[in-house]
Amino acid sequence: MADAVALLLALQMGDSAFPSGGFGFSWGLETLKADGLVRDGAGVTAFATAQLTRRWASADRPVLRAALAAQGDIDSLGRLDREVEAMSLASEQREGSRRLGRALVRSHVTMGTPGAAAFQAAQRSGRVLGHLPVAQGVVWGGAGLAREAAEAVSAFVVAAGIGQAGVRLALIGPVEAQAMIAALRQVIAAVLARPCPERPHAFVPAAEIAVMRHETGDARLFAN
Amino acid sequence: MSAETAQHPGAARVGIGGPVGSGKTALLEQLIPRFAVRGTRLAVITNDLVTKEDAERLRRSGLIAPERVLAVEAGACPHTVIREDPTLNLDAADLLEQRFSPLDLILLESGGDNLASTFSLELVDYWLFVIDVAGGGDIPRKKGPGVVQADLLIINKPDLAPHVGVDLEAMVAEARAVRGDRLVLVTNCRSGEGVDAVVAAIGRDVLFDAAS
Repeated sequence: MADAVALLLALQMGDSAFPSGGFGFSWGLETLKADGLVRDGAGVTAFATAQLTRRWASADRPVLRAALAAQGDIDSLGRLDREVEAMSLASEQREGSRRLGRALVRSHVTMGTPGAAAFQAAQRSGRVLGHLPVAQGVVWGGAGLAREAAEAVSAFVVAAGIGQAGVRLALIGPVEAQAMIAALRQVIAAVLARPCPERPHAFVPAAEIAVMRHETGDARLFAN
Repeated sequence: MSAETAQHPGAARVGIGGPVGSGKTALLEQLIPRFAVRGTRLAVITNDLVTKEDAERLRRSGLIAPERVLAVEAGACPHTVIREDPTLNLDAADLLEQRFSPLDLILLESGGDNLASTFSLELVDYWLFVIDVAGGGDIPRKKGPGVVQADLLIINKPDLAPHVGVDLEAMVAEARAVRGDRLVLVTNCRSGEGVDAVVAAIGRDVLFDAAS
């Protein structure tokens, strides 16, 4: 029974219907399409794979893990946050991560998730910035999600979000997107089986340049 | 002033929805100066669908300080951002309230959508739906959720009725018939005719506890 409760919690935290704003972000995919650099489902899959293996695995994962371990320690969470801020070169990447962190925390404050209100108060007073992986660690830890499940859900949210953005950009079909997410399961599992890096780092230059170009581009269905 | 700030209940949030081209931004341009005259402390959020055009139009209008207008991207989902997942709009409203406190009213303009769009009451306290005569006299008869459920239905562009073969009186009567007791107003958002009644309705039904 306890396993069923844990599984249901993980499903809810990873549900694309959970109000947390992710549908408004493409993380560079909109610009890569406009520039003709991603044209089809294979391109979306390559983009998602790079985001998972070269950003999520080395940047979001260690931050999420540290945030889960720092429950309630606002000063530690603030240090993590500033590290994410410093390593996010493109402004729409930085701002997007902060907006999504605030949106996620806001929903959890309304739901009464333990720790969410204190973190939101720290956000509003400027003690923390509330970047997404930090916010995920706070609210998912508060909700009772175990570390392994939290990491799997966080990576799944990246894959599913890119799939949805790809569908709305008409780059990939809705069932094709699900097939992509199914294939990425093995990619995510392989990442989770590896040791977690201690210090966050990321290297996805094409996506970062696309996010920078998005700031002044005409394509604005998405926030980045 | 500090006592007033301490007791301020937070800004009321009013949504403005409706199909593309029905006159939502034009209505905003008519509402903003009227609320300014009334002394209502105001900010605006726009959910442009494809560009930042509506937000930029308002920022350049001279009607409102540009920093009081925020654009929220909808990820090609104009329904979602005002109903299923309004968190990005709520976040923008939080930011405006933090920056310009105290605010009395935040107007949220939806991206142009269809007749099935509705606002979540987790996002807004009250919402308007704007349709226009040129969109067809049969729109009220179709009983779209936007037309039926909005707190206030606005029928815009009445001057076009004779040019597009619409019987305005019948359109208004049908709108009243499908909405029961809910308010229906006719505006011309180019000339401003009828807009005072919209301000009066928001003042009466939404701002009753705020400075007037």
